Amino acid sequence: MTEQIAFWILSAVAVLGALVAVRKRNLVHGVFALMLFFAALSGLFLLLLAEFIAAVQILVYIGAVGILLLFAIMLTERVTGDDDRRITSRGWFCGVVVAVAVFFVLLLPPIQQWPAPETVPTPEPSVEKLGQRLMNPYVVTLEVLALLLTAALIGAVTAAQGKRLAKGEEPPE
Amino acid sequence: MSLVLDILIATVPLLVIFPTLFAFTTWLERKALARIQNRVGPDKVGVPLTRYGGRFSLFGLGQPMADGIKMLFKENIVPRDADRLFHLLAPILALIPAMLVLCFLPLEFPWTDSLKPVQAFLLDGAVIFFFAITGLNTLAVFMAGWASRNKYSLLGGMRAIAQMVSYEIPLVLSAVVVVMMVGDLNAKEIADFQTGGKWIVGNWFLFTPWGLAAFVIFFIASLAETNRSPFDLPEAESELVAGYFTEYSGFKFALFFLGEYIAMFAISGLAVTLFLGGGAGPGLDAAPWLSVVWFIAKIFVLIGVMIWLRGTLPRLRVDQLMGFAWKFLLPLSILNILVAGFAWHATQQDSKTITVVTWVISLAVLYMTAKGLNQLNRAKVRPRNYRYAE
Repeated sequence: MTEQIAFWILSAVAVLGALVAVRKRNLVHGVFALMLFFAALSGLFLLLLAEFIAAVQILVYIGAVGILLLFAIMLTERVTGDDDRRITSRGWFCGVVVAVAVFFVLLLPPIQQWPAPETVPTPEPSVEKLGQRLMNPYVVTLEVLALLLTAALIGAVTAAQGKRLAKGEEPPE
Repeated sequence: MSLVLDILIATVPLLVIFPTLFAFTTWLERKALARIQNRVGPDKVGVPLTRYGGRFSLFGLGQPMADGIKMLFKENIVPRDADRLFHLLAPILALIPAMLVLCFLPLEFPWTDSLKPVQAFLLDGAVIFFFAITGLNTLAVFMAGWASRNKYSLLGGMRAIAQMVSYEIPLVLSAVVVVMMVGDLNAKEIADFQTGGKWIVGNWFLFTPWGLAAFVIFFIASLAETNRSPFDLPEAESELVAGYFTEYSGFKFALFFLGEYIAMFAISGLAVTLFLGGGAGPGLDAAPWLSVVWFIAKIFVLIGVMIWLRGTLPRLRVDQLMGFAWKFLLPLSILNILVAGFAWHATQQDSKTITVVTWVISLAVLYMTAKGLNQLNRAKVRPRNYRYAE
């Protein structure tokens, strides 16, 4: 019962946050609405007993992606963020088609298992098990991902450094 | 109905105890700072909230209450061009994460049956949740700075983001050491792991080379995370008026204040859990309820050090602040993880000599690294190049 109530509240907040994030003209408001959406999503993960994913959702999406977006707005737009330009796109029909398609792809697994089995096996999610899985069968994947991130980091540093100046060369104005 | 009761039992103590401690801490801080600066500090407001408090001035202990009443009655001023909604939401957002993370501390109150820990969330991943939610504080600070539409506020907000994002990394990496040693992310498990041992403190992580290094890094980073001096650049009085809460008055300001102190309690509580043995202390066998007392006493030791640092250290410059996080704390904390891994493998055999050798090697490596990093980061003094108008 309590799970039901929590589910509906969180879902409503998530949908509302997503809508506001898309519709708001003010970019900073949009980013904060997006963060609200992420937070509600994290709550939904918590309801599914996926506590590690819930924590990572907050840590990565709100703590890193959201802050990055705020930085990007501060560095590129006028700092006040209240720019009223709006991206007008004529391809909204294609957008709707893609959105519906993605939605149905997401729905596929439950549709395939229809009608739902009587007893759902209770999942035993635990951070410990997740860690062991990451270290045992998936360790190569993990290392490759780490390498990829390191490459991205080095690339970012190189891009930020700009052209290396020869000795005695004046930096461009 | 019992669910509601359980929730109340789990949350109300936190909501009562910590704000009360906050009131006491403001008094303590003002008194301690006053002593450091050779002043007397608040001493007039006594128990019947009167000036000169009659015979019961009690060292000015009534001061926090008087402050609270004053804050409640002050006018709430919102700048004309401010974003009214965000201006209102920011102090609330500053308080919520700070209050929320208190749930993850392994506090054991006596009134729950058979000392079941009163954690509203009994999560396996309490430590990682703690870090995730503390990070939200940054958003409140930015929101306040942005919504006030004031240059000083915005600068404070930007500084806060840069600082908090930078210091979160050494903060988390230093905690990784403890998680590695215990093999669990559950705060309760981590605290229990450190009970027992010689003279009660034998198993505390503070008294191992890697634990000591991690604790120092954690404590410094937590100062920066909670915007405490010497890392209080987001609210630097001499540069930014009051930083991100320049445009806040009345009770909204009080909420910011409260949020900041609750965050201090929370992060000190995590430090106590990770490094200082949680509620471990003498007399627990006779009276188990003492564990809460020990826990809060240890928090207050850390808070005391924070106040002491505030009274004695000057504020850092922005470049020093960033350089310290990225060039000193980060490499040291990464190396500390390696040292901890080495030590964990080396001390698997129950042999005294190996343990002693491991300790000596770890200490030497950590000390040399700290020295070396210090040497590398030393400011290079070049002859000054004066440029005049040409």
